[in-house]
Amino acid sequence: MNRRGIRCALRAAVVGLLLFLPSDGWAARPDAISLPPLQERWRLPEKMQLDNQVPLYLLTDERVPLVDVTVLLAFGRSAVPPDQSGLVELVAEGLRSGGSLKRRPQQIDEDLDALAANLRVDSGPYSIELHLSLLREDLAAGVALLAELVQQPRFDAERFAIARQQLQENIRRRADQPQGAAQYLLTRQLYGSHPLGQPPTLATLATFDLEQVRAFYQRHAGPAHLWLAVSGAVDAGELLPLVNDAFGHWQAPVTAVPLPPLPPEAAAESLLVDRPLPQTTVLLAQRGIDKDNPDLYAVQVMNYILGGGGFNSRLMREIRSNRGLVYSVYSAFSVGRRLPGPFVAGCETRNDQVAEAVDLMRQEMERLRTETVTAAELELARESLINAFIFVFADSHQLVRRVMEQDYYGFAPDYLQRYRQRIAAVSAEDVRQVARRYLQPQRQQLILVGAAESLHLPPGGPLRQVAVETLLSEVPVVSP
Amino acid sequence: MKPEQEIIPFPRGRNSFRGAVGRRGCAIWLARLLVLTWLLLPCGPAAALALQEQVHEFVLDNGLRLLVVPQPTAMTFTAYLTLGVGSVDERDSNRGIAHFLEHMRFKGTHQIGTRDFAAEEPLLRQLDDVVTRLQRCEQEANCPPQRLEALRQQVKQLERQHRQLVVKDEFSEIYARHGGVDFNAFTSKDLTTYLISLPANRLELWFALEADRMKNTVLREFHTEKEVIQEERRRSYESRPFGLLYETLLATAFQVHPYRHPVIGWSSDIAALRKDQLQAFMERYYQPANCCIALVGAVEPAEAQRLAQHYFGGIPAGERVPPVTAVEPPQRGERRVQVRFQAEPQLLVAYHKPTVPSRDDYAFDLLSVLLTDGPTSLLHRRLVLEQQLVTQVSAFGAPGGRYDNLFVLHLVPRHPHPVAEVEAALYAELEQLCAVPPTQQQLDRARKRLRADHLRQLQSHRGLAGMLTHFQVVTGDWRYLDRYDAVIRSLTAAEVQQAAARWLKADNRTVVELVSQEAS
Repeated sequence: MNRRGIRCALRAAVVGLLLFLPSDGWAARPDAISLPPLQERWRLPEKMQLDNQVPLYLLTDERVPLVDVTVLLAFGRSAVPPDQSGLVELVAEGLRSGGSLKRRPQQIDEDLDALAANLRVDSGPYSIELHLSLLREDLAAGVALLAELVQQPRFDAERFAIARQQLQENIRRRADQPQGAAQYLLTRQLYGSHPLGQPPTLATLATFDLEQVRAFYQRHAGPAHLWLAVSGAVDAGELLPLVNDAFGHWQAPVTAVPLPPLPPEAAAESLLVDRPLPQTTVLLAQRGIDKDNPDLYAVQVMNYILGGGGFNSRLMREIRSNRGLVYSVYSAFSVGRRLPGPFVAGCETRNDQVAEAVDLMRQEMERLRTETVTAAELELARESLINAFIFVFADSHQLVRRVMEQDYYGFAPDYLQRYRQRIAAVSAEDVRQVARRYLQPQRQQLILVGAAESLHLPPGGPLRQVAVETLLSEVPVVSP
Repeated sequence: MKPEQEIIPFPRGRNSFRGAVGRRGCAIWLARLLVLTWLLLPCGPAAALALQEQVHEFVLDNGLRLLVVPQPTAMTFTAYLTLGVGSVDERDSNRGIAHFLEHMRFKGTHQIGTRDFAAEEPLLRQLDDVVTRLQRCEQEANCPPQRLEALRQQVKQLERQHRQLVVKDEFSEIYARHGGVDFNAFTSKDLTTYLISLPANRLELWFALEADRMKNTVLREFHTEKEVIQEERRRSYESRPFGLLYETLLATAFQVHPYRHPVIGWSSDIAALRKDQLQAFMERYYQPANCCIALVGAVEPAEAQRLAQHYFGGIPAGERVPPVTAVEPPQRGERRVQVRFQAEPQLLVAYHKPTVPSRDDYAFDLLSVLLTDGPTSLLHRRLVLEQQLVTQVSAFGAPGGRYDNLFVLHLVPRHPHPVAEVEAALYAELEQLCAVPPTQQQLDRARKRLRADHLRQLQSHRGLAGMLTHFQVVTGDWRYLDRYDAVIRSLTAAEVQQAAARWLKADNRTVVELVSQEAS
């Protein structure tokens, strides 16, 4: 037996004697093991700058001969008026499939295919991100292609027509998925006439044309709105000249991106989409917090205890584990990076159990507001968040993107360094305070998607039925 | 290749670390689809990365197999504990049992999940007895309503008593306290996997807890869990158009082979399962002889071997799962089914095909890339970009890989094009594919794509652990992954065309169509 083995054996024996009742013989519990300390080796990305001041982040990871590249453009859905909702989604699709001034769309498709590269373009509230994954040996060709798409996009007319048709079809199918219908209503209820409250509808897609898409991109795209993150089998010595050649000479003035303030939050309502389903999708929601909110850490601990901690959360324990009413029940604060993001608690349950499930969800929120959490619950939540923190470093590309986005959104430079300390400082009283501040069942929107005829309704205000056509084609109210 | 459908005990990714930058992500449904896609993607290894040089393999005397891939820069590791038992190993009398057991094996052991097992055990026996009588009464047409009600009350009361002795979800609590993330499990047609990722210094804790689970599982809270699983069924199959279509497809394409039944079981199967069946099934098969463990990340192979021997070495081997003897007879003529649902039309078209080691299985990996992978693929180009009949087209193998399976195409028609028009266009393209071999350039690109996609799966600890355990169970040897590339390289254009011609025939086809049901 080596030294470590002896230490372990000794400790196990001692722990066994001290802690455990001999109800099952003298066998020590399986988790009564002393563990070696964790050797922490943080690997943080390098930060560089191109000739035109564009920031470039790199995390070298040689395990697999692949490279991942993310290009962040610093404008997103919040930059278009609500009656033109869908425009940013079509900008994103235009970047992906609309070709460049040098290469027609089909040529770009062929060239990406020859590289076995994956190109994805996502649009968010404050950004459009292009992600390219490719083999290490194809890096130069891939970066050149990305630079062409970003700096000289063609926004081909035929591809634009196809992309718009596809988005229309997706909208027509919005109510096919109960989750999709519920999310759509929730967004509208929480953010109203703000751009963040208006997912595209068939009506909004008809309000703009290709020229407006091109003009929008022209206005906002330029090096001042460009951020780059790279991970994989490449080092700085090789990457920087390559990326600088492709992106470092780009000059284009940009217009500042507008961010309208949020309108006041709408009064609480209960909405129902009547679908002939055996189960109702339930969402309870209100506006939550943004990243600059000093309550951020207490809110994370509080939400862990409420419904963010999986089986260790109260919602899961009471509604699933004790009563078998649901398969999934959860709560989440989506931390807004500029404006407050939503708080959502949700579940799905048999139609006739809806009243009971909603009532229990509200009770658990009320309980967090009025009673102090137990020391054991608080400790478990804090320990779990603290000990799982190192998974921030598990995925190289996620990490390099996270660090880039932290800078883009203006997080404190020591955000990661101090995260665990701040979680550790959250007290039971803090938890109660933030529960009172951010969980207000009487102010929450209730969204139900299920079969009206067998539905047992929760108490509360009257239920407003929403027709499916509304989900597809409503023209939004534009704020004055 | 070996795609599969998985069923998990709770939605993924809610208890992992999320800093303020982390997104809450899309709907759970989408998240699951992504996971599904991950498994459905065809994959192939690269010559550049011989796994043989990275995998440390140990087999204990009781048959338990341990595969370790150390990654020196990591601070965490991922553990997959896979049992080669899935829903294909069920019979008519116990359908849904593998998935039900997957849930129940989260409920603890003699020491985990209980305040006092000595006091709990007799109460649990009493409760089981009443629950069994209740189940029987519910099934019998002439069981008097008063008796039914009395039994229900009795169960409720015993459950309340029992709950006093239970430490709820203690496995989950211990792992969470130690920083575990993605603690979960899934059941497919072919296998059952328990997974978690932990900080590097928790390796021994993982061995101790999982060995305890294998030796000493106590099946608690059976009656409540049954309701949870019924809700899971409603959510994943009965409320979602794709779930319904997929379930119907398997029940139609297979008539004899157990691949025809849903992993979760039909609703009446779930209701009828008894705890003594679960107990017996578990004692028989959830044992070292059917177990393969993969550890990827910050793990030292010699240490892992020592711990495996220490914690699992003394467990009796158990019984190897016997092969399924049912063989699906050749299909003689197209099968066509409609599913009415309040949703927009969708289409699934499936063809029977052989599984590994048949070379045709590899040929279908290439065919899948040629047909639907990316905007230059045949069907995407023709149906999405040129004819604009559909907005999406994808291909995947299903529902498992241990036995002969299906090549499935999923199409989403674009309004107002009727399904018939989409089908006709699809068959015209497939006919072409059966008649003309792919060009050298097409073949080379498809090979390169398989290689790159394979590498993408190796980027994460989970991807690698998942591949190793999956292919160990499905093909009998994880080295399949290392041989894959050579086989793909050796397939000629003519072979690919012949495989298409052999299987993509109308008589071998099953078509499932979602027909929109008007709102009442």
